[in-house]
Amino acid sequence: MWGVIKSVLAAFLGVQRDQQRREDFERGSPLAFIVTGIVMGVLLVAIIALVAFLAAG
Amino acid sequence: MRTLLVWLAGGLALVGSSQVALARGWNMPVGVTDLSGEIYSLHMIIFWICVVIGVVVFGVMFYSLFRYRHSQGAKAANFHENTTVEIIWTTVPLLILVGMAVPATATLQKIYDPSDAELDVMITGQQWRWRYEYLGEDVAFNSNLATPRAQIRGEEERGEHYLLEVDEPLVLPINRKVRFLFTSDDVLHAWWVPELAVKQDTVPGFVTENWVQINEPGIYRGQCAELCGVDHGFMPVVVHAVEEDEFDAWLVERQEMAAEEAMGVDRDWEMDELMERGEGVYGSICASCHQPEGQGAPPAFPALAGNEELIAGIEWHKDVVINGVSGTAMPAFRTTLNPVELAAVITYTRNAWGNDTGDAVQPAEIAERLAQ
Repeated sequence: MWGVIKSVLAAFLGVQRDQQRREDFERGSPLAFIVTGIVMGVLLVAIIALVAFLAAG
Repeated sequence: MRTLLVWLAGGLALVGSSQVALARGWNMPVGVTDLSGEIYSLHMIIFWICVVIGVVVFGVMFYSLFRYRHSQGAKAANFHENTTVEIIWTTVPLLILVGMAVPATATLQKIYDPSDAELDVMITGQQWRWRYEYLGEDVAFNSNLATPRAQIRGEEERGEHYLLEVDEPLVLPINRKVRFLFTSDDVLHAWWVPELAVKQDTVPGFVTENWVQINEPGIYRGQCAELCGVDHGFMPVVVHAVEEDEFDAWLVERQEMAAEEAMGVDRDWEMDELMERGEGVYGSICASCHQPEGQGAPPAFPALAGNEELIAGIEWHKDVVINGVSGTAMPAFRTTLNPVELAAVITYTRNAWGNDTGDAVQPAEIAERLAQ
């Protein structure tokens, strides 16, 4: 699970180790990455919204 | 030590050149409001960040090109990736962007806060003039280009403020927060005065806000900044910022003028009075399309001189001026002009240039029609 999260974070930044990429493709199903990606995408938007909300006072 | 001196000299030269750029008017102005100064500082901070990035990036590039050139036997390195370097060159720009966003957002918040204004001015863009309405003060007027057409056509020497002069400037007090409400009667325009750091689109059907608090009395000039048709370049903005007591006196004077004008609606006007008034209104409002001698510019702008439809139909004529003609360039003037001005300009166009109908349209009649 931690490996999936790390890969999704790397995708957010747009930089990934070649070795890690090979390992990810050996998992077979992309489902875990898609679900984690969506959840973390929503989380990112929520964090930005929270920061904006706090900054606006 | 020598390298340090070279860098110091280079830095001083850059700062010096930016001062020259400011003095020559190549840079954006510092302006005359607290916010315009803040926007200028923001612009300069981001400019210098860009300069540093540019110097570093191109410095590394040119140094590498020179130091590792082929003629000196340099060999290309062949490797697939370097995750550490990639992460650094991704996060550094991210941090720079966030660093720039923090002060920029703080300024934006101030720009978008028009609360606690002491004066509200409605600014309406029209093809091709600005209309200013001091809300709740019973003062409203149109601000038209004052540059003579002869200068535009090149028949006369251009004046000092060529295309940046108006018949009625927007008068504002210094040291008071003034809220602007922007809208448009026809197409997109943009009210832009660089010294006030205000550049706001005016959108038909929407009201947008902005505000100023001017620190220095003076005359500030600007232009329409959104392409709005054939006379886009002929609708400048002129703002007269005056001392507070001077502004209060001006406002009272304009209120008295407006009250006097309102009284004029009830009385009967002589033909000569209507013609004289109408000629002035025609010159500032109608002549840019229908031309000074009423000859028009067909097919877009029909001739008024000798126009059969106009001569035959007085009611139709009134309706066209008051309500405009949908689907054409003819706007409705029911809010732009007051009943006296409407009556005068209709009378003028019915009797000038050989349209000798003899009709005198009374302001009272127009006022009644507007009230319906």
